Amino acid sequence: MTPANNEIKRHDPSDIRIHWFNAACWLVLLVSGLGLIKNDKLNPLGAWLPDVLRALFGGGSAGGAVLLVLHEVVGVVWLVGIVIYMGVNAGGTRFFLREIFSLRPGDFTWMVRKMLRMTVGGGGELPPQGYYNMGQKAFAQASVLGGIAIGATGMILLASDKILPASVVWLVGWAVTLHYLAVGLVFAGLLVHIYMAAISPEEKPGFRSMFTGTVPRDYARHHHGLWVDALDKGEPGAK
Amino acid sequence: MNAKLAMVIDSAKCIDCKACVAACKQANGVSRGVWRNWIKEAVPPVENGKLGRGHFQPGACMHCDEPSCVIACPTGATFKDKADGSVVIDPKLCIGCGNCIPSCPYGARFRDPVRRIADKCTYCPERRAAGLPPACVDTCPTKARVFGDISDPNSDAAKLLAANQGKVVRVIAKQNDTKPNMYYIASTAPDGWAVKPVNPLSFDALSQVVAPLVKYAVGLSGLGVLAMLGRQLLVGQKPDVGTPHEGPEKDKKEDGHDAR
Ligand code: HEM
Repeated sequence: MTPANNEIKRHDPSDIRIHWFNAACWLVLLVSGLGLIKNDKLNPLGAWLPDVLRALFGGGSAGGAVLLVLHEVVGVVWLVGIVIYMGVNAGGTRFFLREIFSLRPGDFTWMVRKMLRMTVGGGGELPPQGYYNMGQKAFAQASVLGGIAIGATGMILLASDKILPASVVWLVGWAVTLHYLAVGLVFAGLLVHIYMAAISPEEKPGFRSMFTGTVPRDYARHHHGLWVDALDKGEPGAK
Repeated sequence: MNAKLAMVIDSAKCIDCKACVAACKQANGVSRGVWRNWIKEAVPPVENGKLGRGHFQPGACMHCDEPSCVIACPTGATFKDKADGSVVIDPKLCIGCGNCIPSCPYGARFRDPVRRIADKCTYCPERRAAGLPPACVDTCPTKARVFGDISDPNSDAAKLLAANQGKVVRVIAKQNDTKPNMYYIASTAPDGWAVKPVNPLSFDALSQVVAPLVKYAVGLSGLGVLAMLGRQLLVGQKPDVGTPHEGPEKDKKEDGHDAR
């Protein structure tokens, strides 16, 4: 599909598929994961949450065991899905990683002013942004680095009662701690991500683009001016 | 009323035959190299230059009322069964993280080398379901071990406790009374072998640093979202508010390119 004249391609169909696949996996893994933590010192919202979730799957520790299997299966499916995406759209993966880890002068100012503007108001002029703005980059960095940490520690936890010997239980203990930390921090960012992407009215065209793949040129110029400049200079866009 | 399963032991009767250790291993198919119960031996006293009588002390998981192992388990795979008071491990929910092993001050837990998860005395649930006492109790030739529901005054264990009121001792962890449900009649030895429950550093880091940190991070981010939502609803936002303004020249250039 060639975008209409005033539409610019922003996401490849494979990007759209991996984004929603990732979001769906996150939802299932987050909920089932919350049901797996049952410890008075750790329960993020109290014991009622794991109790309710376990009740849905048979109750008590048996319900927890069902959640564990679900969490393990979806966790592996998630990792495999992401690896397949990286193979299917290697160019897109490289573009994404290069974009999210390249910081430009003005990004810090943008971040501070944008946060002021969105909450208390004011904040001043926003420096122009590239394919992703600094907020998107910060969240994307968190989800990539967090995702690597979550995936790696998840594999250790999966292996724990299958192949790991007693001599490395210290590693399993630290994997639990890091898994919790990484999920918690990415989730903190996710709240803002979902607000900005799906609820904030000014980003509506961006939300639509996660289904259609394209954004209006207007919108792109206002929100991602440096990206449009680069496209106009003939540089390749998103793959 | 809920049951409270317990073991009442007259360690003076123990002859160190280790039948209980063997019977447990056989009844529960305990893996090679590990044991769910034990007999400890007090160093015999030297009396008038001669070796006195030793004292043997049968033991196993004490199914404590305030179990430190439960506190260390992240998933709740180890829990206190409300119906019978025993401390249970659900093997399907245990991920083999090993936290509970050093957190038991009595050394009652180990990581099963074959199943790679925590294991310990279960009070033989299959035998109990069939109306039999745990294997160690059943096999004991001197009846040093007595098992039962001590909340039921008619049980053998409760009767034995009542008959020895005021003369019952327990082995208790250092600096932490976990309220064990293993009672020794009159006196027992050795004593003082229970250690202090310790959690792995990774668990203390998780419960004392990481969990509160995550709570603050999520709370802060949630407050930020509420602030943005509040502003959106109260002040309102036209789709163009908040777009970058890059100075007049740039705007002109943009207009030239725009297909508005
Ligand atoms: C209901 C849930 C979600 C919604 C509505 C949503 C929406 C969106 C939208 C509309 C975009 C495109 C932004 C643009 O290119 O202008 C996007 C990008 C992205 N999403 Fe999501 N998303 C959701 C869940 C998630 C989850 C769970 C993750 C990962 C943990 C995630 C990670 C990302 C990343 C890394 C990007 C690219 C960078 C960025 O735009 O920040 N999303 N999302």
